[in-house]
Amino acid sequence: MKLLVINKTLTYLLFAILLAAPWIIPVIGDPFWMSVLSEILIWSCFAASINFLFGYVGLLSFGQALYFGFGMYGVALGLTVLGLGFWGSFLFGVSASGLMALITGALAVRLTWHYFAIITVVFSLIFYFIALTIKPITGGDDGINFAAPEILKLGDLTLTIADPTTQYFFILAVVTLLFFVFKRLVSSPLGKSLMAVRDNETRAALIGLNVYRLKLTAFVISGIFAGISGALFALFGRYASVSYMFYHVSGEGVVWAILGGAGTLAGPFIGTALFILIREVISSYWQHYALIVGAIAILVVIYAPKGIVGMWNQILLKKSEGDKK
Amino acid sequence: MSSTIAVLAINGLVFGLIIALIALGLSIIFGLLDVINLAHGDFFMVGTVLTYVIFTVSGVFWPAFILVPLIGFLLGALIQKLVMERLRNAAELSIVATFGLSMIIQEVVRMTFGAAPKRLVSPIQGTFDLLGVEYDIYRIVAALISAAAITCFFLFLNKTKLGTWMRAVRHDRNSATALGIPTQSIFWITFGLGFAMATLGGIVAAPITTVDFRAGVDILPFCFMAVIIGGLGNLPGTAAAAVLLSFLEGVISGFTDPTIARIFSLVLMSAVLLFRPQGLFKGLAK
Repeated sequence: MKLLVINKTLTYLLFAILLAAPWIIPVIGDPFWMSVLSEILIWSCFAASINFLFGYVGLLSFGQALYFGFGMYGVALGLTVLGLGFWGSFLFGVSASGLMALITGALAVRLTWHYFAIITVVFSLIFYFIALTIKPITGGDDGINFAAPEILKLGDLTLTIADPTTQYFFILAVVTLLFFVFKRLVSSPLGKSLMAVRDNETRAALIGLNVYRLKLTAFVISGIFAGISGALFALFGRYASVSYMFYHVSGEGVVWAILGGAGTLAGPFIGTALFILIREVISSYWQHYALIVGAIAILVVIYAPKGIVGMWNQILLKKSEGDKK
Repeated sequence: MSSTIAVLAINGLVFGLIIALIALGLSIIFGLLDVINLAHGDFFMVGTVLTYVIFTVSGVFWPAFILVPLIGFLLGALIQKLVMERLRNAAELSIVATFGLSMIIQEVVRMTFGAAPKRLVSPIQGTFDLLGVEYDIYRIVAALISAAAITCFFLFLNKTKLGTWMRAVRHDRNSATALGIPTQSIFWITFGLGFAMATLGGIVAAPITTVDFRAGVDILPFCFMAVIIGGLGNLPGTAAAAVLLSFLEGVISGFTDPTIARIFSLVLMSAVLLFRPQGLFKGLAK
């Protein structure tokens, strides 16, 4: 079988499993795994936002937690203070992170490589500390809590995320849409131009591409992705906390994206799923699971520097070449 | 009020010298190995923890100054040999590897040393009158030790054969190898030295901060700020920036919240990155 066919089949299979999960999981195990699955879906959007910048434009952002935090607080404040309702707050959170990405990105994308990675952390730290000082609004590390809002009310029919299955399908729908948009973006002319910038910035500029504007566009799209994951996470946990804006959150996202396979569509999902599953499985037996997570991170960068999906594709490619001979 | 600000400013200077020591370690690892070391704060934390252990086991503080940097050097050399050497020329992978390393170090310390923050009794008790405020003698000693260590580091780098080799490898790896410098050994020596300097900062700081497995997380951004504001690869600039930043933060925190002082430093750092990416102290670069 061809590489593409195998990967496509696997993607459909994965999607079918995700769709059927609310019925499979209660049969084979604890319903607690449903919320783990939701968490994997949400954080894989976050990893995807890092992957979009790093894997397709070559910019390593270490400050995506900032836009995650804006999405998160946009939802929390939209619901509690502004009374915007479910969709209003969601939109508010995502636009806030997009706007923030536009403002910070306008400065950050002027810089390259090391400097870019560092200024993104610095920006996220600045807002982390600001959020800590305005405790009356953000609630500081303790955060702010809110009740589960209604998604939709049509006569007798009320959809609310208080129902776990509805919540799961809402998250699955948003995440699927996001990955679909991601795929379309990457294969669009914009995506091709971004990859041209990644491969050789000077050449891209010489063939008439506006490198600055392309990078800024990618930065804003990536910020919106991170904002969506933050908004989803706020709705999922019914709370927002400054601690999710710290650089460690960005760091974890970078690790998931690179270990899963930067520059691949499935990489961030696989990386995130692997790490969250390891955390959940091991932490119930042994509290020092961070040791194993750290060790895996190191082993993967040594033995599979292209990430898990990158390694998988290489194996498939070798196999199919072997078949031809 | 004015004496409070003076004390905060002097506190800033003391911490600045300690940070300078740690940041110099970060800077040589970055400049020579092209590794963005996210575990550097944890190297500092390992220094404070080892000092605490030595002090509580033996009852004396000063042997830590020989033992701890030695352990740090060996650990650093080991990390370079086992991990970093296998992912050379891939700085983004070094970020992931050192992030993993940071998780492992913190978890090992939490397992063995415990999660509760501890305090170390100052090895030099007593205070003296500083502008009407009782000031710890140990803090002044800490500043002097750090200043001496920084001086020794620059003497080593500029006056010894090994130091010259390190500068040569940083300047041009290929030419250095062609001239017969054992580049591979310089790599692990550098990582070991960087680790040792962070632990040295840890020993000096142990009696004036809390000994906690998370201590590295707070100190890492500060070290990066010093390295950036001083100019990447500019070692005297890094030291100067660490002292200047910490001094300014000390003074500003005399007027407002320390968090606002930290925001000020971060904004300064963004301005430097955007408008003077070669750092504030270009004249100091060699």
